[in-house]
Amino acid sequence: MVKEKATVVVVGGGATGVGILRDLSMRGIDALLIEKLDMVNGASSRYHGLLHSGARYAVRDQEAAKECIEENTILRRIGKSCVEATTGMFVQVEGDDPDFVDPWVKGCAESGIKTRELTKEEALRMEPNLSRKLIRAFEVPDGAIDGFRMSWQNLQSAARYGGRYKTYTELIKINVESGTVKSITVRDNVTKEEYDIECEILVNAAGPWAGKVAEMAGLECSVSPSKGTLIAFNQRISNRVVNRLRKPSNGDIFVPHGSITILGTSSITIPDPEDTSTSWEEVEELMKTGEGVFEHLRDYRILRVFAGSRPLYVPKGADGGRNASRGFVTLDHEKEDGLKGMMTICGGKFTTYRLMAEKFCDVLAPKLGNTAKCRTAEEDLVPAVSDADKKAARQYFPAYGVNLAATRLGTEKFPEVVKTLKENPESREIICECENVTMAELMRIAQEPTSHSIADVRRRTRLGMGTCQGNYCALRSAAIVNKLFKNKLEGCNDSLSDMKNFLQARWKGITPVMAGKTLREAEMTRGMYEVLFNVNGGRR
Amino acid sequence: MSKSDVVVIGNGFAGLMSALVSADQGKKVTLLSYGAGTFPLNSGVIDILGYDDSGKAVASPAQAIAALDAEHPYKKVGTQALEESVKFFQDVVSSEGFPYIGSLNEQQWVITGVGTLKPSCLIPESMQGSKCFDASEIVLVGIKGLKDFYVDMVAENLAKELGNDKKYTTVIIDIDRKGARDLTTRDVAYWLDSEAGYKDFVSKLKGHAGAGKVILVPQVLGTKGNTVYKKIVSDLGCPVVETTAMPPSINGLRLRDVLLSALKKKGIRVIENCKAEKADISGSKAVSVQAGGEVRTQTYSADKFILATGGFYSGGITMRDFGKAKEVIFGLPVVADCVEERWVNKQLFSNQKQTFAKAGVRVDETLRGVDESGNVALENVYVAGRNLSGYDFCFEHSGNGVALASAYKAAKA
Repeated sequence: MVKEKATVVVVGGGATGVGILRDLSMRGIDALLIEKLDMVNGASSRYHGLLHSGARYAVRDQEAAKECIEENTILRRIGKSCVEATTGMFVQVEGDDPDFVDPWVKGCAESGIKTRELTKEEALRMEPNLSRKLIRAFEVPDGAIDGFRMSWQNLQSAARYGGRYKTYTELIKINVESGTVKSITVRDNVTKEEYDIECEILVNAAGPWAGKVAEMAGLECSVSPSKGTLIAFNQRISNRVVNRLRKPSNGDIFVPHGSITILGTSSITIPDPEDTSTSWEEVEELMKTGEGVFEHLRDYRILRVFAGSRPLYVPKGADGGRNASRGFVTLDHEKEDGLKGMMTICGGKFTTYRLMAEKFCDVLAPKLGNTAKCRTAEEDLVPAVSDADKKAARQYFPAYGVNLAATRLGTEKFPEVVKTLKENPESREIICECENVTMAELMRIAQEPTSHSIADVRRRTRLGMGTCQGNYCALRSAAIVNKLFKNKLEGCNDSLSDMKNFLQARWKGITPVMAGKTLREAEMTRGMYEVLFNVNGGRR
Repeated sequence: MSKSDVVVIGNGFAGLMSALVSADQGKKVTLLSYGAGTFPLNSGVIDILGYDDSGKAVASPAQAIAALDAEHPYKKVGTQALEESVKFFQDVVSSEGFPYIGSLNEQQWVITGVGTLKPSCLIPESMQGSKCFDASEIVLVGIKGLKDFYVDMVAENLAKELGNDKKYTTVIIDIDRKGARDLTTRDVAYWLDSEAGYKDFVSKLKGHAGAGKVILVPQVLGTKGNTVYKKIVSDLGCPVVETTAMPPSINGLRLRDVLLSALKKKGIRVIENCKAEKADISGSKAVSVQAGGEVRTQTYSADKFILATGGFYSGGITMRDFGKAKEVIFGLPVVADCVEERWVNKQLFSNQKQTFAKAGVRVDETLRGVDESGNVALENVYVAGRNLSGYDFCFEHSGNGVALASAYKAAKA
């Protein structure tokens, strides 16, 4: 049954998909994005969050390096509240190939990436935790970027131009008539209802799942999901992004985000993009390499380990993994396979998501007779929250939390939340101290059409995602969330289950790193919830 | 350089009890104190054995202990020492005016801060959840601005445990603390220590008390032993029950204060903020430990050492790399079945013990560390509390019980 129509349907709610939705919408093309789960659940939120300067690619792939530095400059401008302009350092330590340095410096210069060599003393003064085995260090314009937030801001921007999006809407069939895609059948994963959406062009932006989408149209698109494992530490080990100055390899990037640091990444070719499991071997490899840069790495508390799949495009006959290109391809299936009305975008990396969308839409738009120019680099993703609104908020909760909440909520929702804080003193309660989440913010996000389950609300607000890993807020949030949303949001039926499910979700990221200070945290979590609160219930 | 008969390392429940029992034996005792152990964490109730290996609630800890594995600390300690340790503890706290009720033959039921029931063995008078069993109405008292005690949630979960034939009513007391944004149980307890605070609280609760009712409050009834508890029960004229609480819990601190007071009376020397770092070993004996104090490293010599440094939680045992667990002061042999497939149970709350939780120092029946062949590592170093291997205190609800029994045994050995 045809229930909806859109000129273009984009499949996949990762950075690539949301970038295309925004680009199309700004060109005035009617577009709808569908995502089978919650937004940004795949690679776009499961990576290190490095805003590349391009220096990492300066030797092997100068085209990618040039794209990175250009996009880096654009994203700093249009996505201010998602970028931490930290700068970065490339460090060479004992044992690293000394002959790599000169070609790298030359490659950076040729790609337009500014580097500045630091003396050893200077580097250690800037980043005192660096290994004393440091030999050479260079400063580059790397940064840190919040992929989750930036993707949501793209959606907000698209929505202002009429772009639409639906979460928990899964593509299950591509309906082709006489060599042309006419519509798709989707399943609403909340209501289980199945229905058709008519479209003129279907865009496959499913990242590591792109091969599976192509299969539904009887096409072949060789995507090799490559799993990357990352470790999040409880401290900000360095103030800048720190890269190893050598041929890109596993475990040589450290990215600081707020009060944590992420170390990545491994690269393992896997058959199933859903596989986000991690092994001790991967963790150990990352730690061993990481110790080369920060000697005392094992003394830091690990918050959790997580993994995501890169969508590496493998042209026929090439191999995947680390050697596969980080570039991207646009496949027009009309040209490639004789199927009209379907295009695939594959590969790429977060830093260049906007450029990918631009180049892709430059091919797509003329097919619809649209000749508008790309404007995504010209306009900020979201307008900045006004100082007046922030000032008003400061009366009701801590100044530090005001900025966090403002960037999470944006210009429309933030003033609404401040109004609730003003009118309803109870809503001022801070439920999550690590992330400064108030009851008012929870109430507001729960009203969003994309909030189906309590897990969705948690992701949007970052409730319980901070450094206490839920130890202190699991109880509090279970109580409040049940009071507010019981039987209204999925997964919100009784407080004990919510508490347990929430802590279990955190546990998943903790189990592969159960050593060092993580053991201590585990003893505390269990001592509190299993013993002190006996969440399994008393008279068993 | 100072020489004692016994040096106890550790300031948690096992450490304080080891020191008290040692002093009771007429020994000259020095206690090296660093941190506060798990007193703020465990609400100061003494769980002996709440659940058996199959996860079923234990009716009589004394009986259930017989069925435990031979590697379990209770088996190493033996029934007699366990019984004596319970008596010793109850005598100490009673003589300090803070009696703990209960015995090894039955379980006490405590009401938790989320409204579930929890089996424990020795508990203060203020936490007897069983008083709710026969009540016709339970009045749940919340305090405005107090985080981590949500009367609606407690009522919901308590009704699941105790049934719906009772009435559950909720009251929120506004203690009128102007300017205070969020309150903790500690803030409220200090306020109830004050005469004005206490009077205000009782006046606001008075109308809710009555025959057949039990007043259920968060853990806030004063910081000093059972003073406020006794007064409020008499002033309200009906039973009052405190729940367990989010750390830092007041009752854990009450118990700690009481034990520290007993320590003082016994003339035990407590060295504050003193982190033992390494031991000097001569042959098969430890001669002294070196500890970093406020100013400089000091050496503490003794004939006997009791190690109560709290396992992974308090840093007595560390494991920087997978499989390389070590006891940090004496280098006693640690057993840890650190194999990826079984080290961590993928379910946080499950019907199985966690392997990592059972890691620790393996000991003989005198609680001295032994190697794989059963040879005693150091003749005069005894282990108490969470450093011991062979038990999962969370699964069993046995943490303070193992601490108490092993402290007693180590001190007597």
